[in-house]
Amino acid sequence: MNRAFNINAQQQGYKITFFAMASPCEVLVQSNDLVLINRLADKVTDEVWRIEDKYSRYKKDSVCSLMNNSAGRSITIDNESFLLLNFAKQCYQLSEGLFDITSGVLNRVWCFDGSDNIASHQQIEPLLPLIGLDKVCYQQNSITVPKGMSLDFGGIAKEYAVDRCIILAKAITKCPILVNLGGDLAVTGPRRENQPWQVAIEALESTDECFDNKDMIVTLFEGALATSGDSKRYLYKDGKRYSHVLNPITGWPIEQAPRSITVLSPQCIQAGMLATMALLQGRGAEAFLAEQEITYWLRKS
Amino acid sequence: MTELKNKKHTNVQAALSIAAGALLGTGAVSEQAKAQSFDDWKIDSAFLFYSEADRVSAAEAIISATKLYDNDEILNLKFTADTLTGASANGAIVQPQAQTFTRPSGIGQYITQAGETPLDDTFKDTRVQLNAQWTQPIAENYTGSVGGHLSKEYDYLSLGINANLAVDFYKKNSTLSFGFSHFQDTFTPEGGIPKPHASMLIGDSDSPTWDEAFSATRIANSDDKQTTDLLLGFTQVINRRMITQFNYSYSKVQGYLTDPFKIVSVLDSQGVAQDYIYEQRPNKRNKQSSFAQTKYHFPASLANSILDLSYRYMWDDWQIKSHTLDTRLYIPVADIFGENSYIQPHVRFYQQGAAEFYQPYTSTEDIQQEPLKYVSADYRIGEMTAITLGAKYGFNLDNGNDFSIRLEYYQQTPTNAGFEEPSALSTLTVYPIVQAVILQVSYSFL
Repeated sequence: MNRAFNINAQQQGYKITFFAMASPCEVLVQSNDLVLINRLADKVTDEVWRIEDKYSRYKKDSVCSLMNNSAGRSITIDNESFLLLNFAKQCYQLSEGLFDITSGVLNRVWCFDGSDNIASHQQIEPLLPLIGLDKVCYQQNSITVPKGMSLDFGGIAKEYAVDRCIILAKAITKCPILVNLGGDLAVTGPRRENQPWQVAIEALESTDECFDNKDMIVTLFEGALATSGDSKRYLYKDGKRYSHVLNPITGWPIEQAPRSITVLSPQCIQAGMLATMALLQGRGAEAFLAEQEITYWLRKS
Repeated sequence: MTELKNKKHTNVQAALSIAAGALLGTGAVSEQAKAQSFDDWKIDSAFLFYSEADRVSAAEAIISATKLYDNDEILNLKFTADTLTGASANGAIVQPQAQTFTRPSGIGQYITQAGETPLDDTFKDTRVQLNAQWTQPIAENYTGSVGGHLSKEYDYLSLGINANLAVDFYKKNSTLSFGFSHFQDTFTPEGGIPKPHASMLIGDSDSPTWDEAFSATRIANSDDKQTTDLLLGFTQVINRRMITQFNYSYSKVQGYLTDPFKIVSVLDSQGVAQDYIYEQRPNKRNKQSSFAQTKYHFPASLANSILDLSYRYMWDDWQIKSHTLDTRLYIPVADIFGENSYIQPHVRFYQQGAAEFYQPYTSTEDIQQEPLKYVSADYRIGEMTAITLGAKYGFNLDNGNDFSIRLEYYQQTPTNAGFEEPSALSTLTVYPIVQAVILQVSYSFL
């Protein structure tokens, strides 16, 4: 794992780039103080890699793996994990079970590699009893994950890391900063001269049914942007496109969901959750978003 | 592609806002895409105490306020007040017997005991200083700055202006800067400006003829000087860990450069003081200096420390040459003392050669043989070495404000630049060491 960062001079300030959470990451700082830039780079990368190490389900020593390998026994958790579980639980309740960090077991049968490899009912049925965050008991200091179940913080860790970095950066400096972890991003405020940040939201790959493949430029003064949906992860069979977003209640892909949804919120974790919850509504995504008092951008299938 | 905004309320977004606030410890954040301007003043304050053993003590308070405007314009206002008390060397040389001197004002006398360095103990001054600096981008990659300076002491007034231009290139990895400043100083010392080479009048200042005799040693009430400085600087970012800077400066000073309070002992062939004459320095000084600095940021394996190393070579047409080597090491100690805390050891070494007209004393013989032109026995333009050892400790308070404390030891060691010592001085300390302690407390807040 490459745990290094690069610093490059920019038109106005510096760009710190690094790799974390399976994504290219960047931090833009509108300052020419190299000592400050180095300090920010150290702080931000330390924090992102710390969260990655702690909550990645792919790392054997992570807290997440510890929970998933506890085989039904109660294990001790710290306050940060408790708060993250609380947040996940609230999202579970708000989405009426559609957002569920225990749904990862479905990945055993669903592999969104662009093929026509659709899972069968026989494969899915036995997994459904292993899904449901309400079956996981946790308290301030401990958690019991029932045997066979597992937690996946992948849906919130990146957005959480963005918000944590913004908090850390604000404690260090008043210079304008943008933190972008693989497309989920937030700013500490507008750039100098009260100028907005110009943020490009990556275009989808061009397909026959979608000609709208230009990068979308968003001007951001304050707050955070998060995007849900992915062009590259899907299955395609009999003229039907199966999105990688799974309904944890049925075990099947959400149908007619938008290709991607980008939401603006004060904090990244809110933006990410609103985008994900909207996507989980399938064809009702737009209606769901419209009911919220938020700014959003939506790409249809 | 559609951007949609909707006015209808629902609770998912509000509930998420509260949940996110609980997770991040920020409370519910309600504002969104709101414009924010940088209209806060940043205030830096510092209190400095400087104390020389048996000599001068100084206390200084600095308040600096910086405001960043929307267009990258920066206004900095700095107010400094300091007060100086204690004794300062008057230039006369130590003697095996007590010596009597007249105070610079001409009113009263003071006596220096045998074997002691003559110090004028009436040194007392209060100074207020105001600096204002305006910096702004002029064009892409060009930053300009102008400033004004006012400093007032009981007997001194200094007015100054400055202008600077910085040009960035190579993606801001290189910066070329040009600076200009001009100062106009007026000196109105108590007792007036003494006549160079005139003998210090020593006697009964209450006598009816005193005032007339004293004023015969004076040539004016005040005098002035002008200083023009030019600076050429180059800063280069070598890589993300290293930054270097080179400066060349040229300074031209014209006018009254003599110290009206300094005298020179006139010794007989045995080394016994016969007279004290007022010093005289040239009325011009051209000073040049070259400066190189490098800052290196070590990796995490070396505690992320930052080494700051600099060297300055200064030379002027008084033939003073000096070398300054300064090194600081910034060591973050967040693990031990909390977020953003650091310690910074500091070592500075200074070596100076004497001005060509410096001499610790003159002799009755020399005075008779050829009239002196320039002469000064001020140890500060003599040969010396100085060392500073200290450390600074700084940390962030819970409210985000910075606090730091600096403690330093300073020692000046004047050395003999090759002057003969007459027999009367053989057992005395002609070049006394000056020791000082510096304590500074700084506090910065937004």
